[in-house]
Amino acid sequence: MIITKDLTKKFVSYKKEEGMKGAFNSFFKREAVEKFAVDHFDLNIEQGEIIGLLGPNGAGKTTLMKMLTGIIVPSSGTVEIAGHSPWKREKDFRKKIALVMGQKSQLWWDIPSIDSFKLLQKYYEIPDARYNEKINMMGELLNVKDLFHVHVRKLSLGERMKLELMASLLHDPQVLFLDEPTIGLDLVAQENIRQFLKDYHAQHNTTIVLTSHYMADVQALCPHLVLISGGKKSYDGSLEKFENILGHKKSVYFTFNQCIDKTDDFWKTQDVLFSENCDEVELKLDDHEIREVSAAILNKFPVVDFHTEKMPIEKVMKKIMENPEILSGV
Amino acid sequence: MKLFSETKHYLSVYRKFISTSVSEATSFRTSFILMIFMDIFFFLSAILTVDFIYDHVATIGSWKRPQLMFFISFMLTVDHLHMLLLSHNFWRFSDDLKSGNLDFTLLRPLSSIFIVFFRYFKPSSIPNSFISTGTLIYFGMQNGFGPTQWILLPFLVILAFILLALLEFIISCAMFWLVEGLGINFLRMQMQQLSRWPDFIYGYFTKKLLTFGVPVLLIGSGPVHFLLDINNWPYLLGMIVSCIGCFYFLIFLWNRGLNHYDSASS
Amino acid sequence: MNNLQKWVQTIKISWKRYTAYRLNFFLQIIGPSLIFFFIKYNLWSSIYSGEEGLVIKGYDFNQMITYHIWSFVVAQIAQGHTALNLSIDIRMGRISSYLIYPFNFWEFHTASFLGFQILQLGITCLSMTVFSLLGILPDFTLSGMLYGISACLYVSLFWYALQYFTGMLAFWLEETWILRVILQVITVFLSGAVIPLELFPEAVRSVLEYTPFPYLTYYPIKIFMGAPVDMLNFYGVITIWLAIFTAINSYLWKRGIRLYTAAGM
Repeated sequence: MIITKDLTKKFVSYKKEEGMKGAFNSFFKREAVEKFAVDHFDLNIEQGEIIGLLGPNGAGKTTLMKMLTGIIVPSSGTVEIAGHSPWKREKDFRKKIALVMGQKSQLWWDIPSIDSFKLLQKYYEIPDARYNEKINMMGELLNVKDLFHVHVRKLSLGERMKLELMASLLHDPQVLFLDEPTIGLDLVAQENIRQFLKDYHAQHNTTIVLTSHYMADVQALCPHLVLISGGKKSYDGSLEKFENILGHKKSVYFTFNQCIDKTDDFWKTQDVLFSENCDEVELKLDDHEIREVSAAILNKFPVVDFHTEKMPIEKVMKKIMENPEILSGV
Repeated sequence: MKLFSETKHYLSVYRKFISTSVSEATSFRTSFILMIFMDIFFFLSAILTVDFIYDHVATIGSWKRPQLMFFISFMLTVDHLHMLLLSHNFWRFSDDLKSGNLDFTLLRPLSSIFIVFFRYFKPSSIPNSFISTGTLIYFGMQNGFGPTQWILLPFLVILAFILLALLEFIISCAMFWLVEGLGINFLRMQMQQLSRWPDFIYGYFTKKLLTFGVPVLLIGSGPVHFLLDINNWPYLLGMIVSCIGCFYFLIFLWNRGLNHYDSASS
Repeated sequence: MNNLQKWVQTIKISWKRYTAYRLNFFLQIIGPSLIFFFIKYNLWSSIYSGEEGLVIKGYDFNQMITYHIWSFVVAQIAQGHTALNLSIDIRMGRISSYLIYPFNFWEFHTASFLGFQILQLGITCLSMTVFSLLGILPDFTLSGMLYGISACLYVSLFWYALQYFTGMLAFWLEETWILRVILQVITVFLSGAVIPLELFPEAVRSVLEYTPFPYLTYYPIKIFMGAPVDMLNFYGVITIWLAIFTAINSYLWKRGIRLYTAAGM
């Protein structure tokens, strides 16, 4: 469905000098700086997949997205989406895709969203019956029917995002690009959006490319992950494999009501990390050990709290951002 | 058949453009009223400038008061169409380029030129339609126009408007290559200023350049020379040729611009 | 002393902002005046070439061109500034930062204005050099030049107050550019920038004497041209108008800021 080969985008910017003299100098002479936002990127995504595109700020996620949607033209390399080259921007291609950006709105600010929807209906030549059906179906699913006639500028961010999603799905796109769709939303609103995307995907089998800084989005939606850093691909594989990059063992945390004895024999056989004031420990355990070892600790020490980590992916991402070499072995 | 359905598609989109623009504009009432005044002040200052000059001289170039007043009202009518249908869009275009909001426009399955330049209709200019059309007819009568001229007049207004629009779209393409496109709008307005005076006020070289090079003087001087004397038909031919040439040049330049478009945030 | 440094730093930053987009600066500030002058030069050449030795209300061809060259200089120094940034600050809710900074909103914008004026003075000197190289710079005396420039600088303060006024209305209006365009269109016409006020019908002229418009362009040009202008009257009238608009602006700011903090924009 989506195939890229050696996809590259190069940006040229100009250096600016500081101060009055600098402003004066750069008025006449500027120094050009080249930057590879996306650097020889290969990607292969199947029809109906949901992939999570991850990477730190400025890694090239958005540039990649914009090349995939045909908004910007690649410097070199090839892209093919549903049989089209996006940068040619053929009408048929544009009818097959949709883009949602968490930071930008495609709804017109000063008019009610229903007017924007009707305009989009005309843009995409959606038959009235199909349009009404879609509006009703999604309006109900997202619980936003009461908001259609409210001016967009008066909506909350969460409400607006739901309507943005609706707007981009009206024409039944085959490929949906989501650029940080949950950014800035509260936890409940994030969960709503995720649930909606899950349901929608289950019904329509739309190919979805998602970028997000919230690992909860990725964990909930994307079985397939692609990691980009410095414009290059650094990981491409399953979520499960990604979570296990730092090893198969799970982290389990115990908190005690007082400082405990680090030298106790019990700890000697374990892979363990103590907190500074020794009232907390982190243990790395295999799945089958968890039950047994936990029971032993609960019996032996004054435990007040214990938990396993909820999102191993978050930890992996953090470790990779701090130390990108981890991936070189994968 | 395909052309027919395409036209229908574009018309249906344009109807929505109008209705959304009206609903947007009328929600800001003070601005709406001020814009009506803006149009009227502009109109009055243009007309009165020429009127005051003719209090002191009999002719400017070869034209007496009725001819030049007709020219001014012709240009004001073309400017009025420009105000009504296009003016807002150029400013939004430079904003959208800077903010990256052009992204969504590029995704739509319609010509991006169409969406960029025809998206905002300016309903506050409607009242001025009556004033400018009325003035145009009044000075047409002062020049003793016959049936041929009256029939030709509306077509020439539209042709002049098309040429003006094409030239302005071409200039706006420069915004693709600049980080801050606002200045291009000022360049565009300066070009419009040049076209608001008859071609004979300019020196030989300027006149040739602005007629054959960048045909801004054809916008007003072309049709008015032709209307005042049908023997001046080469002006009309020049306008038609310019429109066709500009159209193809625009398409070429626009596509180059889109290829260069970097989108605001990477 | 400390405050002075804040002003100096703000002026420097405003220079940097104005020159950041150099083409833009040229197209927006200098270009329009040049084209405007070019059109007027052509127009009046065409009018005067129609009749040998034509004199209109005391202006022969050379005097008319002289009038418009000084009109260019006056427009550059006295009416170059716009309050665009100011109204954007208000509209975008960027006022909050000024409420926190130990530097007032009006101080920030006035410093930017001063920075702009210094830049404009430099550009005007440059354009006058170009005019003189082209051989169209009118004769002037040093004292005439100094009187003219100081008159322009004083007028620019009043122009700034007018622009500030349009900016202040951003508290109540969504778009203030409409007001600025109206102000621009009316000023260009009624201040004598296109045709000298002598050419206006007598009735219109006598009404204009009661408005600030002739003081914006017509009188400064006359001062440059060495015509006898009642300086006391000139500075007196501008001072009165300046005082009126400063009072209005400070009143609007007080009302606006209350609205702003109340709405929690």
